Amino acid sequence: MNKYLLSAGAFLVLGTGAAFAHITLETQEAPVGSTYKAVLRVPHGCDGKATTALRVQIPEGVIAVKPMPKPGWTLQAKKGKYEKSYQLYGQAVTDGVKELDWSGGSLPDEFYDEFVFRATLTADLPVGQKLYFPVVQECGDAAERWIEIPAAGQDEDALENPAPGIQLTPKK
Amino acid sequence: MNTMFLLQKTVMAGRRVGWAAGMLLAMIMALVVMASTNQAFAHAALIKADPPDGSVLAQAPAQFALTFSEPVSPLVLTLVKPDGTPVALTSFRLSDQTLEIDDPQPLKSGTHVLSWRVISADGHPVGGSLLFSIGAPSAPPAVSEAVDWQQRAAIWIGKVLLYVGLFLGVGGAFALAWLAGGGRAGQRLVTVAILCGLVATPLSLGFQGLDALGAPLSHLAQPVIWRTALGTSFGSTVLIALVALGLGLLSLAGPRAAARPLALAGLAGVGAALAASGHASAAEPQWLTGPIVFLHGAGIAFWAGALAPLGLALKGRSAEAAPFLRRFSRLILPVVTMLAAAGVVLAVIQVQTPAALVGTAYGRLLLVKLGLLVLLFTLAGVNRWRLTASAEAGATEVQRRLARSIGAEMLIVLAIFGIAAGWRFTPPPRALAIAAAQPVSVHIHALQAMADLSITPGHAGPVVASMIIMTGDFGPLDAKEVTLVLSKPDSGIEPLKRVATKPGDGSWRVDNLVIPVPGRWTVRIDILVSDFEMVKIEAPLDIRP
Repeated sequence: MNKYLLSAGAFLVLGTGAAFAHITLETQEAPVGSTYKAVLRVPHGCDGKATTALRVQIPEGVIAVKPMPKPGWTLQAKKGKYEKSYQLYGQAVTDGVKELDWSGGSLPDEFYDEFVFRATLTADLPVGQKLYFPVVQECGDAAERWIEIPAAGQDEDALENPAPGIQLTPKK
Repeated sequence: MNTMFLLQKTVMAGRRVGWAAGMLLAMIMALVVMASTNQAFAHAALIKADPPDGSVLAQAPAQFALTFSEPVSPLVLTLVKPDGTPVALTSFRLSDQTLEIDDPQPLKSGTHVLSWRVISADGHPVGGSLLFSIGAPSAPPAVSEAVDWQQRAAIWIGKVLLYVGLFLGVGGAFALAWLAGGGRAGQRLVTVAILCGLVATPLSLGFQGLDALGAPLSHLAQPVIWRTALGTSFGSTVLIALVALGLGLLSLAGPRAAARPLALAGLAGVGAALAASGHASAAEPQWLTGPIVFLHGAGIAFWAGALAPLGLALKGRSAEAAPFLRRFSRLILPVVTMLAAAGVVLAVIQVQTPAALVGTAYGRLLLVKLGLLVLLFTLAGVNRWRLTASAEAGATEVQRRLARSIGAEMLIVLAIFGIAAGWRFTPPPRALAIAAAQPVSVHIHALQAMADLSITPGHAGPVVASMIIMTGDFGPLDAKEVTLVLSKPDSGIEPLKRVATKPGDGSWRVDNLVIPVPGRWTVRIDILVSDFEMVKIEAPLDIRP
């Protein structure tokens, strides 16, 4: 019983303390060569202001991106060329969605919402490393940029505005 | 018999003086030749060091190697051990552009500082230091600039003797030629003062060179010391002073007819020598300070120079004493007025604020000098208004009292020379204010981006920060946004974060920034390269109090 309380306490203090403040992904790890459902959790606006747009950069190696539309938000998917060619169901893919943009909505600071897209994590992605999805959160003329990626050896917790990311696991 | 003897002595002194003047000319020629070869080449730069700066070595290296962009010769090489004790490195070899220095084994583990100062072909000293650690890094030893009191004393004595030569010597020669009316009392003293100056002036130049290069007294014979000193503005002072001293000597020893123009030229030379260098003549506005230093110097020479011949003439009760005194007292009032006025203007320019009079070493020296001057003026006033009239009339007892009083004045004058020579070591408040207004700058270089940041002024208080942002390979970087973050973790102050603006000249600026405390701050510049890419670079920056 004591042990349970202790670990619950530890979880509360360590596990979720940081996550409340930042934009994060619901599923924190995924195998390469699989389809991943990304759920971006937006816990608050920018310094009290309502969120009016959310833009997500799709990293290299993530293909076949399909965002989920949201009522009240205009959804745009900006396409561009990949750095290399990927195989998807036996077909070569050289271009696709590079950026997602939900805009024109209004998410007040005191409410919570999720933004969802589906994508294929190609088998070329480096297993054991983290894959980051930089996010720009716009609130009218203000913005919060969740785009920081830790340098080699840097502690992610030290970053002020870390980009949401997932841990890549081996292909199943 | 007595007169014959004196005459003979004067003629002999004259010959000796003529010989000295010849030597002087030769010396000036040599200095001019040395100065003219002092051409501007590029400075040498350190291009490679072994061990490299910041390296951690498993064991002490057998030797250190510094490679420069051009051939150099070492001036001072020092290794500072982890405990802070400096070791002079004297065993080295030069092979082409590389300086190989033997390691004074054994070195203990910890962080060492190798400090070097070399001189390149252009005669300009270049210095730097590099850190390396043996085993593991330790706290780097504190490298302190020790004050070389022996050298300071030498510079100070040289300066005082230079003043004695110029003011008492050349000024004395002027008094003898223009005021003494044929009397020769004090001529020997004046000659000795000039010879003193002739010896001290070149030595002062050498000391200046040592000081400029941070070299010990034992390096005085090295030509580079003298070349460097000649390259400084003090070089011109020394050259002009030598000419002035030579003119004074010639006016004493040369033909009687030429004595007056020579002495006048000498007096002008005194003013010019002092105006050629020093804190005061370097102050802005130079069209004002230069001439004022000239007048101040020439005025001192007139006054101080006349004291010894006049006092000795009165003491010796010679027939010329009374007319000498009359001529002197007629001229001294306007001269002292001009002298004092020039001094006040210079003091105002240099000290700027009354608080600096007590707050800085320069101001305190000025206060002491002012105190001595009050004493001097009191004595001079008593002499001028109480004693002069009866002394001129020939009252013997009064003449003796006047002579004694003039002797006291001489001592005060010497003390004032000592104080003025002390200014050599104290920057004036004006210069301190300029130094305080200087920005601090740092170049931050990372793989993805780099920045030149300067904070003006570089001390705590309201400042303006200016940044030039470039890519890591010196290319243009059109950042979307630049944020300056100043933090000082040891002070308990939360980081100061300011978004920079673009004034339109290619730089980024942060106005209305206040740095609350001095010390070592960490500056970080967040550069938003594109919508989704931010580069953060940081470096330490020392903010002056």
